[in-house]
Amino acid sequence: MSTDRGERQVLPRLNDYGAALVLLCLVAYGVFRVPNFLSEMNLSAILYQYSIIGLLALGQLLVVLTAGIDLSQGALLALTSITTALVMVRHGPVMGVLAGLAVPAGVGVVSGLLVSRLRMPPFLVTLGTMGIARGMAMRIANARPVPIHNEAFISFGSGTLIHVPVSTFLWVGASIGLAFFLTRRPFGRHVYAVGSSEESSRLSGVSVASVKLAVYVLSAFLCAVGGVIWTSRLGSGSPVGGQNYELESIAAVVVGGASLFGGKGRVDGVVAGVLIFGVINSVLNLSRISPFWQGMIKGAVVLLAVALTQVRSGAAIRAPEGMARA
Amino acid sequence: MLEAVARRWWQQRTVDTQRTFTTFLAMLLLIALAAVLSRGVFIKPTNLLNLVFQNAILGVISFGQLLVILSAGIDLSVGSMLGLSTVLLMIFQFLGLPVALLLTVTIPAVFGAVNGYFVAQRRLPAFVVTLAMMLFVYSLAQVISGGAGIYSGLNGAPLSPVLVSFNRRGLLGVPLPAVVWLLVLAGMALFLRLRLGHFVFAVGGNERAAVFSGVPVTMVRFLAYLGASVLASVGGILAVARVGEGHPAAGQTYLLDSIAAVTIGGASLSGGEGTMIGTLLGVLILGTLNNILNLLNVSPMMQPAVKGVVILLAVYLNGRREQR
Repeated sequence: MSTDRGERQVLPRLNDYGAALVLLCLVAYGVFRVPNFLSEMNLSAILYQYSIIGLLALGQLLVVLTAGIDLSQGALLALTSITTALVMVRHGPVMGVLAGLAVPAGVGVVSGLLVSRLRMPPFLVTLGTMGIARGMAMRIANARPVPIHNEAFISFGSGTLIHVPVSTFLWVGASIGLAFFLTRRPFGRHVYAVGSSEESSRLSGVSVASVKLAVYVLSAFLCAVGGVIWTSRLGSGSPVGGQNYELESIAAVVVGGASLFGGKGRVDGVVAGVLIFGVINSVLNLSRISPFWQGMIKGAVVLLAVALTQVRSGAAIRAPEGMARA
Repeated sequence: MLEAVARRWWQQRTVDTQRTFTTFLAMLLLIALAAVLSRGVFIKPTNLLNLVFQNAILGVISFGQLLVILSAGIDLSVGSMLGLSTVLLMIFQFLGLPVALLLTVTIPAVFGAVNGYFVAQRRLPAFVVTLAMMLFVYSLAQVISGGAGIYSGLNGAPLSPVLVSFNRRGLLGVPLPAVVWLLVLAGMALFLRLRLGHFVFAVGGNERAAVFSGVPVTMVRFLAYLGASVLASVGGILAVARVGEGHPAAGQTYLLDSIAAVTIGGASLSGGEGTMIGTLLGVLILGTLNNILNLLNVSPMMQPAVKGVVILLAVYLNGRREQR
């Protein structure tokens, strides 16, 4: 019995800071054992790529907190990319970016309405909108990349401020903003409430449907922001980009300690989760490990991190002692 | 009078039967549409035979996915598992067909058991455990095959003639891939009628109730993941027989298609609800859809969008609503 009580005190902390712990170990390994890990080139390479995944993961966290899931993220990134590029060619960069932000948000509205009003399961709704968004991106681009020649737009994506990529500032800003809203504003509390118990939220006067609609639109919008940066870095619109980004963002959210059943998860954990993936990738590449082997190591690390951060998520239900088996 | 009889009959059916019936009507409608749109090409025997060949693999895998989904889980590793199986079957050709087949089934089964251990025993979220396994197994298959397709075993052993001619042969006029599909169907039907099969529904439907009724919840969950991996490897064997190649990416399209088939067939992702016939119909609907899109020369670019719309429609028509 005494061990039981001990577990209860230690494990919640491990749960909250498990991702940070794993990240710390990985960084320590990188610093001490991997040459060039601390070089500016490597660090900014991690930040460039993972700021985008980081933006997606923030949106995913919002959706996951309401016990939903957004599988359409990668496809929305591609849709943003192609819309931005095509509109920019005809109407200039400002209209391009605006269209790139608006179209995916529209798809987010559709997902959100289907989930919140028609009460269809989020997994299947976003599986459907994923196909639709990907198909739209392929169709309007005729399955070919669209080159962008606007220098100002291209330099934005690869631009830096005091040696830190501009996209990282966007990610950090969005993270702080989201953390503020989740912990200090009514909207944040409503998000947690809807994820913990829809019924009690409704009875306490929370508009469950609006909260659900909002999280899918926000997730789509954050994908669009990520997509604009991604397009600007790439210098062209691509309809095939972003494949499996949604899986990476979901993994980052869960590794960061959130529960896929809703109501539990924090922004700092998710940021750590995203950085874990960034650091693993960078360590594997710098150590010249064959890409074929990388998946095995990544899979093992994900499993380990989840085992650490989700310790108490599913405390087993126990039958009364001495009960006969069926 | 007739209407009243029909209504009473309908109301006396279970929700599962009603959903299966709706799915069945949807499939008939789709087939009729396909026959008309393709000016009869669709219902020609050669095309229908093609449909069976193309969908036997998805059909087998989807039953595994159904098993896991019924237990309120999900298995994202089935596609990678299929890819690994094709590579293993090819590599082990030098050991002779029986041993090669045995290894092709047992090695993925071990990984399935690892999935089961983490989900059932350690109680980690299925989505992420099987996601990690998907990465792991795909990477393993790449390491073994060198990342490309392989066409012979170690020592250059060629593919066994039994597998080479597998697709051309039949049993009583039924092509062999379809026979395998039917065998798996019969096996699943039998399993789900056993006590252990009922337990799968119990665990997915209400875990707490299952525990208090003395159902060995951990064991049932574990077996579901094991079963999904074994069926994925059977799918891998069919894939090798079909294209004569082992490739790590052979199973890539099957992951989402298997989940789509199960849910179009009326199963609930929160577990405990779903039928085999529904899943079978789901596979046939997806297959028919792919088939007519090709017959009508719809560009492959639009196929994800069409599939997306069909999934949304199917889920809407099934009346599947979240309740909490």
